[in-house]
Amino acid sequence: MKKLLLAFSFVTAVMVTAFSQGKAVTGMVTAAEDGQALPGVTVVEKGSQNATFTDLDGRYTLNVGGEDAELVFSFIGYTQQTAAVAAITEINVQLVADVAGLEEVIVVGYGNQKRSKISGAVGTIDSKEITSMPVLRTEQALQGRAAGVQVTQNSGQPGSTQSIRIRGTGSLNNSEPLYVIDGIPSGGIDYLNPADIASISILKDAASAAIYGARGGNGVVLITTKAGSKNQKPQITYESYFGVQEPWKYMALLNAEEYAILMNESRSAAGLTPLAALADPSSLGEGFDWQDEVFERATMMNHSFSFTKGTETSSTAIGGSYFTQDGIVGGDKGNFERYTFRVNTRQDGGERFRLGQNVNFTHLNRSALAENNEFATPVGRALNMDPITQATREDGTFAYSNFIDSDIANPANQIALNNDFWTTNRFVGSSFAEFDILSNLTFRSTMSVDLSLGSQRIFNPTYDLGIGPNDPDRPAYEFRPVNSLVLGENKWSNWQWENIVTYDKELSNGDDLKIVAGYSSLSNRSTSFYASRDSLATNDVEYAYLNNSLNAAEQAPSANGGISESAFVGQFMRVDYGLGDAISLAGTIRRDGSSRFGVNNRYGIFPSFSAAWNMTELPWVAEKDWIDFLKLRGSWGQNGNADGIGNYDYTSLVYNGLNYTFGSDQVQVNGAGPINTSNPDLKWETVEQTNVGIDADLYKGKLNFVFDYFVKSTNDMLAVVPLPGVVGYLPSATNVASARNSGVEFMVNHRNQIGLVEYSVGGNISFIRNEVTGLGEGGQPISTGSVFGIGDLVSYTEIGQPIAYFYGYETAGIFQTDEEAAANTALPDAQAGDVIFVDQNDDGTVDGADKVMIGNPHPDFTYGFNFDASYKSFDFSVFLQGSHGNDLLNGVFRYDLNTTNLPVSALERWTGEGTTNVYPRISHSDPNQNNRISDRFVEDGSFMRIKNVQLGYTLPESVMQRLSIGKCRIYVAASNLFTFTSYSGLDPEIGSRGTLEIGIDRGFYPSARTFMAGINVNF
Amino acid sequence: MSQKTTLIIGLFAVSLVACKSEFLDVKPLVGSTEANFFLNAADAESATIACYNNLQQEVTNIQGSSQLAPHFRWYFGDIVSDDSHKGGSGDGDEPELFLFENFQGLASSKLMLAEWQVAYRGIAYCNLAIDRIPDVEMDETDKNRFVGEAAFIRAYWYFNLVTMFGDVPLILTNLAPSEYQQTRTPSTEVWAQIETDLELARQALPKRSAMSVSEIGRATWGAATSLLAKVHAYQSEWAPCRDLTYEVVSSGEYFLEPDYSKIFTEAGENGSGSIWEVQYMNASGGNWGNQLEGTFTNVFTRARGQFGGYGFNIPEQNFVDEFESGDPRLAASVFQLGDQMGDRGEFTLEATGMPHEYYTKKFFINASDEAPFGDPNPNGYSNDRIIRYADVLLFHAEAQYHLGNEGAARLFTNEVRGRVSLQPIPANVSGVDLLEAIYHERRVELGLEGHRFFDLVRQGRASSVLADAGFSAGVNEVFPIPEVEITLSGGNITQNNGY
Repeated sequence: MKKLLLAFSFVTAVMVTAFSQGKAVTGMVTAAEDGQALPGVTVVEKGSQNATFTDLDGRYTLNVGGEDAELVFSFIGYTQQTAAVAAITEINVQLVADVAGLEEVIVVGYGNQKRSKISGAVGTIDSKEITSMPVLRTEQALQGRAAGVQVTQNSGQPGSTQSIRIRGTGSLNNSEPLYVIDGIPSGGIDYLNPADIASISILKDAASAAIYGARGGNGVVLITTKAGSKNQKPQITYESYFGVQEPWKYMALLNAEEYAILMNESRSAAGLTPLAALADPSSLGEGFDWQDEVFERATMMNHSFSFTKGTETSSTAIGGSYFTQDGIVGGDKGNFERYTFRVNTRQDGGERFRLGQNVNFTHLNRSALAENNEFATPVGRALNMDPITQATREDGTFAYSNFIDSDIANPANQIALNNDFWTTNRFVGSSFAEFDILSNLTFRSTMSVDLSLGSQRIFNPTYDLGIGPNDPDRPAYEFRPVNSLVLGENKWSNWQWENIVTYDKELSNGDDLKIVAGYSSLSNRSTSFYASRDSLATNDVEYAYLNNSLNAAEQAPSANGGISESAFVGQFMRVDYGLGDAISLAGTIRRDGSSRFGVNNRYGIFPSFSAAWNMTELPWVAEKDWIDFLKLRGSWGQNGNADGIGNYDYTSLVYNGLNYTFGSDQVQVNGAGPINTSNPDLKWETVEQTNVGIDADLYKGKLNFVFDYFVKSTNDMLAVVPLPGVVGYLPSATNVASARNSGVEFMVNHRNQIGLVEYSVGGNISFIRNEVTGLGEGGQPISTGSVFGIGDLVSYTEIGQPIAYFYGYETAGIFQTDEEAAANTALPDAQAGDVIFVDQNDDGTVDGADKVMIGNPHPDFTYGFNFDASYKSFDFSVFLQGSHGNDLLNGVFRYDLNTTNLPVSALERWTGEGTTNVYPRISHSDPNQNNRISDRFVEDGSFMRIKNVQLGYTLPESVMQRLSIGKCRIYVAASNLFTFTSYSGLDPEIGSRGTLEIGIDRGFYPSARTFMAGINVNF
Repeated sequence: MSQKTTLIIGLFAVSLVACKSEFLDVKPLVGSTEANFFLNAADAESATIACYNNLQQEVTNIQGSSQLAPHFRWYFGDIVSDDSHKGGSGDGDEPELFLFENFQGLASSKLMLAEWQVAYRGIAYCNLAIDRIPDVEMDETDKNRFVGEAAFIRAYWYFNLVTMFGDVPLILTNLAPSEYQQTRTPSTEVWAQIETDLELARQALPKRSAMSVSEIGRATWGAATSLLAKVHAYQSEWAPCRDLTYEVVSSGEYFLEPDYSKIFTEAGENGSGSIWEVQYMNASGGNWGNQLEGTFTNVFTRARGQFGGYGFNIPEQNFVDEFESGDPRLAASVFQLGDQMGDRGEFTLEATGMPHEYYTKKFFINASDEAPFGDPNPNGYSNDRIIRYADVLLFHAEAQYHLGNEGAARLFTNEVRGRVSLQPIPANVSGVDLLEAIYHERRVELGLEGHRFFDLVRQGRASSVLADAGFSAGVNEVFPIPEVEITLSGGNITQNNGY
């Protein structure tokens, strides 16, 4: 921080230095296409702050330093131009219109395409958008940036994964998109340094993704990393930031006095005598704030450098980075560390031959705390722990609670004792050779490998929170007499070999023909090895290794491990045909096979077709000079989703380990048998999608928008449909279910320049409707989402409804009198103060048949909004993102335990007729099951979050030149600065735990509010 | 040019495909598939052990959902009866069981599904073993024994099913997909098959005395014979019940453990009076819902609060009152206020945080005996004593009574009473009074071991004894068929009367 301050004062000092101004230049700026004068064009003396604008007649005057000066003319919608001053005093310039990057080349599957020609639905994010905010993980770069792409964190803990859904939840199984990084399909992208990314393309519709066949069904995220370009001077970039994270919200919970009052009342209501320790609530005061205990300020830091260089025949890019982030819960016990190193090189081997290499090494360290479950997370425990118990006693030892039952152990002790470490070493590399067989026929062969070595170390030290040894009041779960250690090693390897030919020719009649055809083969192998041992000689994690076990003689180390393999092959072809400039047609076909599919369905064929009609030249469009570009797109295609299928799901494996204990010595004897039924018909899930869209650029590129409508149907969806119990074995997944996602996406961007202020403002919004359309014969609904505090499954998937909606009892207020309760015979155990559950089917009892939809975890719409502006050397950006209309299930509190702390709303409990019609009475005995799953636990999860605010300052070039620095920008930023939500929990941005548990809060590890300062330097 | 291009592309693609046809044949490298199992004696033995494995399934995953459902014999044998109440943290803790306790249980209950599915899962492994082991080339004695063990376990599961549900589908081989939708088989046929299986098992299984200590826990002649006797008792077939129980008595294989309170200690496991126990051990690091070596019964029945249990299966006053004064079995079965709960401290309401004045003692284990690592909760060591010698003696007494031999009935009942130094039933106790005395003895001797409700139904007394709890005759003798199973059978399976 000190260094940054120094830098600031230095900059300020330089800025006040006056520039000598020697020579006046005047001139006029006109538009190249019609010769009209252009007012408002910025004219800058290159390398200085010296600037002016053209007036209404397009004229300008500027005093420049001397004859070696250069002038830069820039204006929104036009290509920037530079002119040398030399001896001239009048410089007239014609600016050429730049129609919104229509010539921009977009990365698509196995090739590139001009934006103006694209006929599918492809979202793009460029490196500028990625670096406009410090993204900690690559997934974050996708959040809110592209319509139809929903990114939610599965936990706020550093290093936790995020769920990405492209155009809704398309499967009951795996709904994550396929990631392809520089052509290599990759499981997960947490190994990438976001600063290494040059561009991201998101293939949203089936036609764009169809070339990825059986694996493209959930959409494809294509990531291209930075490579140098030819004839480029050496350039070194250094980027760094430092941040402080803090919790932005605490839940309002009872204080000690309020807790005691409620517990006494709760016990009395159940006929129990109040606890002596709580006899005088007022003496207990505020008590202890457990949230304050477990949350803390935490730091994060990033250093990243890159080097690029190009010669006549080669280019090189080298990058390296280090990133570390502590958690706001647990600090370094929830730490994530990432080291990356990357080299991309390209060489020409003569006129017709090219080679390239791409090498990436990543080292990840993570220490992790349990997250988002109701049994053993520090966050959940902090919320449930009674406010009377202190984290530590006066002598500094951790205390236990005298009030709470099992599971809610002291979270501070838990954090202190947590030793759960993960290390990953990952090598991803590829090498290609490209050869021009003919001038327009190119062959490319790429061999790539993705190797990952993961190891895990979990050490559970001994502890005893009792006061002295053998404290009889110390609960069993606050005592671990024997320590234990688990060590695990995992290895994953993916090999891929792809051979592609590309034929690209402009035909004699002016049409374009481009053919890409290829063959891809991929094999995966993963092996694992785990061993554990207890009774280590030491309680020090540094020395926690297997051979330090004292117990060698009596207890053999437990060890297990396995291996799993799979293979894919694919043949594919895409034909692009451009009928003049107006019509672009594209068709793809891919045939994919996988060892994961059953023998009866080894291969699948995935076709697609798309067309785009560039309407710009139509007379009625051309005559409207405010329309620069207008394109209508349509596409249809099929792909598969195969990544949710396990390697051997098609067969019925005979498992060992169906053991039983025999003998006076209690020896485990191995038993073996099948677990599941087999399914030789197992195959991919078929995703069929139709898309129509419009792209338009208006007002000289100042306004562009993209509109899409899609219908995406998933058929042959794998579901484990329950089999009759008499079958005995567990059912295996069969291709029986179906779902439908349909939606509208809209993106708009406006950019302009007013004086020296350049700004852009944009937003995107997507509306997606999700519906399950089939669940196999009988359509048996699927119940998931166990929430222990409520004692039931809360998520329900059934035909005609969205996937995994919240399912439970509707409530109708509170019984105000015993008479009222007695009159309701459907709830025979109710009394005054109990919840009225609605007997939906009027059959006289409230039972499982009366459960209805009580909430929908899918948003009505999600949106992102960004505003960027720059003025001279200052730049400013705001990015906000939100979700509207989704419900969350608040399953934070362990109501089953009776004595947990409670939200302050519990103070509004029913205490007599007319007191409340919302909150039931409090009682240790709950015959009416007031805490059964009901709409009482469902909350509106809509939120709008200011994801990022950033203010940057670029140091003047003249100053930088003196320091031999190309460019230097410093900035301050804040992430998650404000969140607008009515949700009562710690964080409304709650992801999923598996596809079928969406939006359930079990004591979610919240995301932090972060303040950052950073510097980017180019040498 | 264009034709030439197409040719190149085509040739290229074809050549690559041709050399890769084996690429997708990836076979599992760990474990076998059904196709290459049952090759030798070791496979046959593993398949037999797998039949036992399912006996330990207590807290199980319900098929097609991530929900766990407990499956304890004492849920329906004791809590549904007049011996105990559900307990837990309140009525909302395991609410479905609360409904069953009050005879308002629902066909949609996951508890019914657990009973049904666990039994048929167990049966599937037995069917596989009985089908496939005979074709394995191996020692014939071992082969017969393996098949006998599978038949015994299959009979045990069908006994549980027929007593829970009445008519149930009788599945004796692994089903093909076309056979998944089954109908209910009349209970008489199910009983007949149970008898056939147990007869086969009796012939094939060794006596306990002929087994090595390393085989303790495997099914024996005594277990098959005793279960068969019980099967006849449940059908009021008293002559074969008498003969079979007498075979067990006269075999000299079993005798009563002199100290009743020792039976439920770790030292009492597989003791002299033990005929059939499901084995559990506490040396695992198991997780909830996984296949386990340990039992949940210990933690489920232990008091809450400082005792760290879940406080289920709370003995009722009515049950406590059943004990004669001076009967030491009360102190061995029930914790009362002020008792010392092993090394976990004194039983006070304050310490448990609950209003209950009794707790089950038979499955209590000391904190010092808990699994030294892993989660101790699912890792209790207490074996489930399913058939004890006292049970056989009392069945014999009951059979003799019904066959008119009151003297023998008194004699065998008195043997059970004599073990705990209670006065013998006087010779003048006769007729209905004698039968009541036998029933009384059965209740106090086997209390909280999962027998009571099924005994009451078998004896035709459930409707009178459980009237206050809401038992309705003609309905509650059996439990509802799980609703889901009716649906999945395509309606082939029908619901029990009154549900």
